[in-house]
Amino acid sequence: MKRIFILLLSALSFLFLPAQSLFESALDLPTTANEQTTKLSLGGFVRGSVYGGAKNYDLTSTFAELALKTRFDKGKAFLESDIRLRKAVFFDENVQMIQLKELYAGYRGEKLDVLLGNQIVSWGRADGFNPTNNITPNDYFFLSADPDDQKESNFMLRMKLRFIPAVELELIGIPFYQASNYRYDLFDMGENVAFGSEIIPSKDLKNGTLAARLNFEFPVAGWSLSYFRGYDPYHGFDVQSVDWSTGLPLLTNVAVSYLKTTAGADFAIPIGKSVFRGEVAYNITKTIDNKMYIPLPDVSYVAEIESNLAGFTMVGQYIGKFVPDFSALVFPVLSDPLNSTAQMQYTNELIDYENRLFNRRIFNQQEKTNHAVSLTVNKSFGYDNWNAECTAYFNFTSDEWLIRPKLIWKINDNLSAAIGGNYMQGKVKTLFGYSSTVMNGGFAELRVTF
Amino acid sequence: MKQIIILSVLLLGSFSLFSQTAEEISKKSTDAIDVGNMEMVSTIHIRDAKGNDRVRQITTASKTYGDVTKMLIKFMAPADVKGTILLVYDYENQTDNMWVYMPALRKVRRIVSSEKGKSFMGSEFTNADMSKPSSIDFDYQTVGSEIYNDRSCWEIESKCKTEAIQNENGFSRCVSFIDKANYLCYKVEFFDFEGKLHRVQTIDNYKKQANGKYFAYKMAMENVQTGRKSEMITNQFQTGSQLSESVFTPAALEK
Repeated sequence: MKRIFILLLSALSFLFLPAQSLFESALDLPTTANEQTTKLSLGGFVRGSVYGGAKNYDLTSTFAELALKTRFDKGKAFLESDIRLRKAVFFDENVQMIQLKELYAGYRGEKLDVLLGNQIVSWGRADGFNPTNNITPNDYFFLSADPDDQKESNFMLRMKLRFIPAVELELIGIPFYQASNYRYDLFDMGENVAFGSEIIPSKDLKNGTLAARLNFEFPVAGWSLSYFRGYDPYHGFDVQSVDWSTGLPLLTNVAVSYLKTTAGADFAIPIGKSVFRGEVAYNITKTIDNKMYIPLPDVSYVAEIESNLAGFTMVGQYIGKFVPDFSALVFPVLSDPLNSTAQMQYTNELIDYENRLFNRRIFNQQEKTNHAVSLTVNKSFGYDNWNAECTAYFNFTSDEWLIRPKLIWKINDNLSAAIGGNYMQGKVKTLFGYSSTVMNGGFAELRVTF
Repeated sequence: MKQIIILSVLLLGSFSLFSQTAEEISKKSTDAIDVGNMEMVSTIHIRDAKGNDRVRQITTASKTYGDVTKMLIKFMAPADVKGTILLVYDYENQTDNMWVYMPALRKVRRIVSSEKGKSFMGSEFTNADMSKPSSIDFDYQTVGSEIYNDRSCWEIESKCKTEAIQNENGFSRCVSFIDKANYLCYKVEFFDFEGKLHRVQTIDNYKKQANGKYFAYKMAMENVQTGRKSEMITNQFQTGSQLSESVFTPAALEK
């Protein structure tokens, strides 16, 4: 990390004067102060959002939100912020909060960018499913009209080195781990299952994240190679304790993070009027003592095609995962029904089996090879004042599916409305099976942008 | 998408007038407004039949390197698209390359070319209107002469050669009014697939640039079937561009 900080300091020390063209000077709100150009841009939106209709909640999520976005530039130095003020009722709980969606300072030069602060990073050329994007945590239970609302920032040092305009090396150092947010405590998992406080790595630099991405973008194609080493925001669960005091086992599950190394690659190639995209990640984990919250090493991949047909933009994806060391879990057998020790052992084995199975569902490692497909169809019409989109997803391995239609109406230049729905279905004890009681439903949003 | 400022008014043909063919007239008309590298700031007003007004503002920079014209379009208004940047590599003889940066996505995304007949930013202009037409796609004919705004003009018709070209461009044929004195085009009438008049484009406020070429600071497009009208006004314009080639790259879009 020392090297990174030295680079940052040296980069900020030689800010120089820019020459402005009409294209550059026309942007934002330029004022001239001394010899350096200063720009200040303020914008954002206010929205009201309602999401409800699930089995467990009439209104799952309702909130009013102000997003205040600021961008300030002076020469090569800049700051960027996205601050949210939110008053909400999420899952029948009152929430009033200030969220720093993003807040960072930086230097942008011809060959080098240095950015420090809370940022959201989106790696990977595929849409929606990005196996190479392990940096940004998500709040999967922030329910709104826009799935991108679930992205959360991390404090990081981020540098981009451009050797030539088409080749860029990105380096990221994240000192402190931040987990994605699951709310499995909201699911109907039985009265004998409770959730305890998550176990996350201590705030030591040795538990930080290092990531690098070498990106190539040429007219004929774009591709990248990436590396990640750190704790995965997408964590697993462990059984912290089993309480037998009532005679029946009461389980306390806790979220536990795990260390992994990922080598990734992606590409996008235009062919005719289509773009072919792909992404692959080799995830290396060490399953020390066969911990259930650590996934097996795997290869995750996405193949995608995007085309325009009769005014419709269509994105079709195949999403797969190969688990080389996969072995099926063995359902425990009660060896002697009349023996209390055997009964106890059987119950413990059953608890272990069920929770391992649960983690494998979270990690989509239910078979040696796991297959899913998705299709998104999007069309703008009425002079771009209307936009309709529908995403469908089907997991062949687990037999789960999801459909998410959405319609946006731009009422005028500043006012828009969105309505839609989210419906998922899965067998008993599958992720979608659990989620559907909380996350199924319709949503509506009214937004004023400024 | 080559040179957003050049309108598809330049239609070639075989009919000869005063020893000039329609093709030659159109070629001269193209040359008259071919300003080359440029930067500009434009505002588009979109008015529906009820008089409701929507406003779009864009900045554009275009520069040619060898056989490719590289163009940047940055959306400045309305607020919900502010910060979106489109980068287009326009080639003479191959499919364009296009990338878009949307602040909400936080990454540059390679996209496929939009259909030419699609509305440009929700206006009455289409993507085809913003592009230089491909001369091999049309049959050309000089269909007459007319005095338009006190100027003696040729009326030159361009007709799509195939149904596929019609569908791609969004019209079956169009008639351009080209000034006999200076080869500037002042009006274009577009006809739908059934041959009915669909849209009428008017072009005003030509100004001669330092390089001897002309640039139109005001264009309007009226849909005579719906009553909608869009007006594109160029607020600032300059020939040439100070931007370096590194700015016309996908990596620079995030800046």
